[in-house]
Amino acid sequence: MSGGPPRGLPSTGPHSLLDMPHPLAGSSSEEAVGGDSTPSPDLLTARSFGDKDLILPNGGTPAGTSSPASSSSLLNRLQLDDDIDGETRDLFVTVDDPKKHVCTMETYITYRITTKSTRVEFDLPEYSVRRRYQDFDWLRNKLEESQPTHLIPPLPEKFVVKGVVDRFSEEFVETRRKALDKFLKRITDHPVLSFNEHFNVFLTAKDLNAYKKQGMALLTRVGESVKHVTGGYKLRSRPLEFAAIGDYLDTFALKLGTIDRIAQRIIKEEIEYLVELREYGPVYSTWSALEGELSEPLEGVSACIGNCSTALEELTDDMTEDFLPVLREYILYSDSMKSVLKKRDQVQAEYEAKLEAVALRKEDRPKVPADVEKCQDRMECFNADLKADMERWQSNKRQDFRQLLMGMADKNIQYYEKCLMAWESIIPLLQEKQEAKQKTAWHLDFEVVWQLNYI
Amino acid sequence: MIRDLQGFMKLNRFQAPLVPSAPLLHLSPKTRRRCLFAERVTPPATSFQLEPAGRETQAEGEEVRPRPRFLLRSHSCRTAAMGAGCPRCSPPLPPHPSLPPPCSAAEQLLPREPLRPRAVSGGAGKGAGPRGAGPGGRGRGARRGGAGAVGPPRRPAAMEQAPPDAPRQLQPAPLEPLGLPDAGLQAAAGEEEEGAREEGPADGTMTENNFWLKKIEISVSEAEKRTGRNAMNMQETYTAYLIETRSVDHTDGQSVLTDSLWRRYSEFELLRNYLLVYYPHVVVPPLPEKRAEFVWHKLSADNMDPDFVERRRIGLENFLLRVASHPILCRDKIFYLFLTQEGNWKETVNETGFQLKADSRLKALNATFRVKNPDKRFTELKHYSDELQSVISHLLRVRARVADRLYGVYKVHGNYGRVFSEWSAIEKEMGDGLQSAGHHMDVYASSIDDILEDEEHYADQLKEYLFYAEALRAVCRKHELMQYDLEMAAQDLASKKQQCEELATGTVRTFSLKGMTTKLFGQETPEQREARIKVLEEQINEGEQQLKSKNLEGREFVKNAWADIERFKEQKNHDLKEALISYAVMQISMCKKGIQVWTNAKECFSKM
Repeated sequence: MSGGPPRGLPSTGPHSLLDMPHPLAGSSSEEAVGGDSTPSPDLLTARSFGDKDLILPNGGTPAGTSSPASSSSLLNRLQLDDDIDGETRDLFVTVDDPKKHVCTMETYITYRITTKSTRVEFDLPEYSVRRRYQDFDWLRNKLEESQPTHLIPPLPEKFVVKGVVDRFSEEFVETRRKALDKFLKRITDHPVLSFNEHFNVFLTAKDLNAYKKQGMALLTRVGESVKHVTGGYKLRSRPLEFAAIGDYLDTFALKLGTIDRIAQRIIKEEIEYLVELREYGPVYSTWSALEGELSEPLEGVSACIGNCSTALEELTDDMTEDFLPVLREYILYSDSMKSVLKKRDQVQAEYEAKLEAVALRKEDRPKVPADVEKCQDRMECFNADLKADMERWQSNKRQDFRQLLMGMADKNIQYYEKCLMAWESIIPLLQEKQEAKQKTAWHLDFEVVWQLNYI
Repeated sequence: MIRDLQGFMKLNRFQAPLVPSAPLLHLSPKTRRRCLFAERVTPPATSFQLEPAGRETQAEGEEVRPRPRFLLRSHSCRTAAMGAGCPRCSPPLPPHPSLPPPCSAAEQLLPREPLRPRAVSGGAGKGAGPRGAGPGGRGRGARRGGAGAVGPPRRPAAMEQAPPDAPRQLQPAPLEPLGLPDAGLQAAAGEEEEGAREEGPADGTMTENNFWLKKIEISVSEAEKRTGRNAMNMQETYTAYLIETRSVDHTDGQSVLTDSLWRRYSEFELLRNYLLVYYPHVVVPPLPEKRAEFVWHKLSADNMDPDFVERRRIGLENFLLRVASHPILCRDKIFYLFLTQEGNWKETVNETGFQLKADSRLKALNATFRVKNPDKRFTELKHYSDELQSVISHLLRVRARVADRLYGVYKVHGNYGRVFSEWSAIEKEMGDGLQSAGHHMDVYASSIDDILEDEEHYADQLKEYLFYAEALRAVCRKHELMQYDLEMAAQDLASKKQQCEELATGTVRTFSLKGMTTKLFGQETPEQREARIKVLEEQINEGEQQLKSKNLEGREFVKNAWADIERFKEQKNHDLKEALISYAVMQISMCKKGIQVWTNAKECFSKM
């Protein structure tokens, strides 16, 4: 879909990567977007992850789940990061330009996905493809399958929450576009997921459907192995830290759900308030039509209330567009975290089951069999991956909520400032009138004529 | 800018003009109140006090008003001087208000004398002195003092002075003596009360000048719930309001309590009804609402609700101030007695027979008199008052809804407070920020209560004008009625004249029953005709006289009514403008509060 012939792109090693100019050196806007979110924590976790990867006996392929390039590219990347100070990214993805497609069978929206990268996995420095929601869904499933030990960011809900009926309305599409963009950005920022082959395909393949069909036949090993783990087995002891994470997630989801409800309720109340304000202002206008001297002040108050309602409308719009989606994302996030935790528990259960079985036969064979050892490795990898992701997630969350809540405060401050300006501006109007009036007060004419026409 | 504004408003409010032709009614509630609470009386044990808790402590505290939120309340008329009136609110009246005693009040109210001479006599001695002592309120006042505390000590002599009901017909409107410092009442306000007591009778030494600089303060300072028996001997609960009048010595600014007495709402109503009848050409100030209307749902509509009682107390005080600052009404005797004579007041009012004079046709709300030649100005005015009433009531309704919604918005934010603090329990780095941000959200949510209570005050100001619209219409209706009577009289006269002419000339111009009978039963004798003509002529004469007087009366009415309407318009424009300013100030302070809270919250968030 994009492209041109591959230029002489160096495909070996970090050194040549350093020599070539950064593909995005010019496009500052995207750098700003990517750059300001989490450069240092990203680096930190990436590093810690990398360390763990190296320490683990199995290297970068715990249970064969990581993409083969994972650990080496990670190292490359770290070197790259160290060299280019402050700039930790070599992959940039944006989602924009939603387009409506109407076929005989269905109507759907596609989004343009633009990828710019210096990574060796990408043949071209820039790709541009169109994808629909289904494709994102496919990508997420694939990621979940191929990287079960990692926390996969959530996709926006498939179906609209009650209330917004029109799936093709501009606001809905825009909200979804933002959510999808966020989804891809989160994957891009992830030190492991961003190297996933499916992700690569998703970003680059001209015809994704062909690839999808081909992928159907394959069943990854991990998927299988996880599936046949006994579901009923009860863990002997969940490690404390994971138990804590589980508890945390439960409470977190609960609180976020409450905040979401409160935010929606506030928006609802504000909209109702807005409706009343819209009626309130014009009453002053009606009144001002009745009055002579008071006309102007009343008109002023009316206009002022009008300004306030405009400000209020902006506030509710902003809150709806910026505040709610982030909350939603995190609510969904906690769900996917929980599912990863569950998988981890299964892996541990499998390990413990095997260990127990070995223990029973311990007298016979003192040596721990290899598959148990392997199983233990797998569990440890899982734990390490999950812990790293959790840390990442925690720091992302902290950052995001800080921004989110500060944004909320800012919006409210702006709203009040606008109202304040409006009200302050009419005070001179009222005052002036009053002074002027004092001068005329004495010149009242009391001469009246009694009218009786017919006498 | 705001500070400037407030300064400006204060200036306006308290510039009581000194018009030396009448004693001034100086109304500065704040200073007065301070004295008042300093000498706070513990209520009688039997009565249930409605005042909010903590009021007792105010005796020593700086906080003077129980509900400082009402401090904003102001009317230009507070500044008005009794008799003289504030230059803005009252049109310059003839110094000698040959008050058109409306209706047939003329026989009862003797023409008023110019104020000055009377005042001199009053100041000089007896005439007014006792009146100043106001025997009416003594009983209660003394009892109050006996109940434990205070109030300026009164000498028994003062209590015996002056018959409670001086012959009303002979007494011109008694207002000058209000300020007379009766020795017995001469007590300094507040803490110094003991030391400041004056012993010598001041009457004799009072110079004229001194006297004229006296001002009167009126306040409704307290409300109390009481139970009593009504006319049917049924148990009833009502609220009584303490009215206090103080004279202010202009030279040293001290005020002295001259009278304090209890009145209940129905007595205020009676007073107003009386004023309505006696002064049909005046836009009589309205009373506060009997039952709470147009309130946002969080406010109780219960008549005994302390908030409501407090707002009504302010409303009643405002009513008295309005009457006292009205150039005509303030001279009324009944009003004066209302302030000074507790017992027998009702009887005195009823003796005036005002109820008989009340035109029942005025009360028939729906009756419209088909007036042939309506005065355009009054028609317009009537139309205006209708419109004003509908627009203000609409405004009040919508405002109550706006307040409801705003309340909702704020209170829902309060939920953040709880969630944030619960959430903070599970967060490490974010915990502290969340916790304190939650606290700010609580502050935000609770700030709305004060804001809306302030706004309620604005609503009260609008409500007053809602009821004023009704008063305005009453004047229009009265005018309409007079015009109707006049036209009727003119019509009657015209027909009589025609009859007379017919009889005299013997021609019947129109077909009439009389014509028929004449034809059927033969002509009358000339004597009969002469007699009838004579009767008719007498009637015509009488009718002409009547028409003339009605015409005169009407002219007088229109003149006075229009003058008062002009005064009212001035007052309205001024008041409403002030109300709008104070509303804007309220909004500004709300915005500032909002900005403050969110800035604080933002700071907490930024630390997360």
